[in-house]
Amino acid sequence: MKATEKVVPVTEQKDVDWDKYLAAYYEKPKSSLTWSGLDVKEVYTPEDLPLEKYNDIGDPGQYPFTRGIHRNMFRGRYWTRREVIGMGSPQDTHDRSKILVEEGGSGLNTIADIPYEMGLDADHPWAQNEVGLTGVCITNMYDMETMTADIPLDKVSWSLITASTVAVVTMAQYAAVAKKRGYDLKKLRGTVQNDPVHFRYCGFRPACPLDLSVKLGADVMEYCTKEMPLWYYTTVNLYDLREQGVTAPQEVAFGFLIARLYIDEMIRRGYKVDDFMQRFAFYVSCHIDIFEEVSKIRAARRIWAKLMKEHYGAQKASSQQFRFAVHTAGCSLVPQQPLNNIVRIAYQALAAVLGGVQSLHCTSYDEPVCLPTENGHTQALRTQQILAYETGVTNVSDPLGGSYYVENLTNKLEEEIYKIMAEVDKVGGMYEAIRTEWLDRVFEKEALTRQKEIDDLDKILVGVNMFTTEQETTTPLGVQRISKASVKRQIEMVKKLKKERNQALWKEKILALKAAAERRENVLPYMIEATEAGATTGEMMGAVRLAYGYPYDPIEIIEAPF
Amino acid sequence: MSKAKENKDRKIKVLVSKVGLDGHDRGAKVICSLLKEAGMEVVYLGMYQMPKDVIDAAIDEDADVIGPSFLSGEHLVYTPLLVEEMKKAGLDDVLLIAGGVIPAEDIPTLKEMGVKEVFTAGSLTEPIIKYIRNNVRR
Repeated sequence: MKATEKVVPVTEQKDVDWDKYLAAYYEKPKSSLTWSGLDVKEVYTPEDLPLEKYNDIGDPGQYPFTRGIHRNMFRGRYWTRREVIGMGSPQDTHDRSKILVEEGGSGLNTIADIPYEMGLDADHPWAQNEVGLTGVCITNMYDMETMTADIPLDKVSWSLITASTVAVVTMAQYAAVAKKRGYDLKKLRGTVQNDPVHFRYCGFRPACPLDLSVKLGADVMEYCTKEMPLWYYTTVNLYDLREQGVTAPQEVAFGFLIARLYIDEMIRRGYKVDDFMQRFAFYVSCHIDIFEEVSKIRAARRIWAKLMKEHYGAQKASSQQFRFAVHTAGCSLVPQQPLNNIVRIAYQALAAVLGGVQSLHCTSYDEPVCLPTENGHTQALRTQQILAYETGVTNVSDPLGGSYYVENLTNKLEEEIYKIMAEVDKVGGMYEAIRTEWLDRVFEKEALTRQKEIDDLDKILVGVNMFTTEQETTTPLGVQRISKASVKRQIEMVKKLKKERNQALWKEKILALKAAAERRENVLPYMIEATEAGATTGEMMGAVRLAYGYPYDPIEIIEAPF
Repeated sequence: MSKAKENKDRKIKVLVSKVGLDGHDRGAKVICSLLKEAGMEVVYLGMYQMPKDVIDAAIDEDADVIGPSFLSGEHLVYTPLLVEEMKKAGLDDVLLIAGGVIPAEDIPTLKEMGVKEVFTAGSLTEPIIKYIRNNVRR
């Protein structure tokens, strides 16, 4: 039979519940709360937005940047379409990156796997089973060379998602490779996530002791400010905090207070905010409540500008501006009826763009199932492209500005964010809130509330607590698997490197790094030299950890080789 | 008190754990709280546990249910090791159920390996509680 003659028969539906049908016809929403539980009115009028308040809003591109950091916004340039990529070996990640560039991605964005974020080499006994499962494992300079091979580093802007204390190693590896290939570090563009404080909440606590998190975070900021002035040396990660289950205002409040830990450390080192804040950026979640997310972003911009100007005395606009990338909310996606996730992601991406985003990662529809398949990845990029090229959202800056509702909700979220910040002040500030595990308890409580909201139908999740169907037995575009052979090859190469490198030079450089850490110096220049001498991720992190009184190995099963 | 009566009155004891390096534990902690609220006794081992650690703890705690939580795709690596340790320890009547981010395609594989049921991300609580009550040793 020819393909054109094949007919899929219409499913026969015998019984229809017509009472249910009628109820659905007259059905009203059960709740009029925002996703974060804020009570909103049926209608907003000019009374909710007194015009004298407009100075507090300002035009796009003007302090306090409520309406965006550029006057012409996307007319000047589209947001960066930057899909997160990280899988298998450095070679696998390299290949997938080039595919997405070829399909129209406009920024490279690679993510570390769990062993790398933990600071474990690929040949660590605990790492060997997990190399490449959730990202890319860079154990040495040669892995970084493979990942970046034949990509013109002076033409691309590369976002390196290493969030833990290992971000300093990532910068050293990237800088070492760039130098070897003859690039001028001062001209390189890109981003490193470098927010070790928040990363303890993502399951990486042994790799992120609090004092080392602040120290190494600031080392990267300080080094890049001097040597790589175009490089965004942090994207303080509000997204991961939101993924713990907290609300929109909690996301901003906690994230901003973590950001201040690094800024205060830089000030302690003798810098003024105008010396270094131009390359400070954020990573933000966009969840499913479109208006709340847009208002959250607008409130965040206003609060940040005021904080920088009024509290820190920032004079330059670029030190006052809240610059951010968005990752659509992975935790809002479910494996049931997985194609529905494409729709959720599109709404979230719309919120990001209406909020004036600088760079966007659209999650792939298979996020709650596995790493993105090539088709899933490309589809996520297409979601961005439809938004950018078809819908017309790029025409006007801050198109929701002046909306009685959105301006009012922006004010309301601003108040909520300040309230939550005051609560943290009451427990002694963010450092204490973290040290005493106050913040852990907040996360646990909120995560439990989120699950109960779904269990009790206080929040509807299509395919989960309404409109459910039989459990899927397959994933529509397949499942991404990691090549065991390519991972095995990577592990063998690390072992070979450790045997064959110039041992005397390696030892000299790794001991110099340890000594610098003991003197409490910025370790990044020493890491560049050590990585050039063949030192590995685990060895360099171990040297710094030892200098700060922590075990060489965060898992505490291997000993220092020096 | 007769042995049967004693068993009936004893709370169901569930051991929840992360396995390997993956520390995504939001789901694991939430399910611990919810099972406690449902009247079960819950031990959460935490992160960075290897299969032998999990099974040793299950023996020490005399757990009726073992619930590993996975996210990073390591379920296919660690499940056979968990099952092997359970067999070695003779935990034939202990209920092994897994949770987390697990592709639908892998559920039959995990069941062949010896997992009795899998609850993926996006599960409601009630079916999990019911499943445990109906299938736990008594």
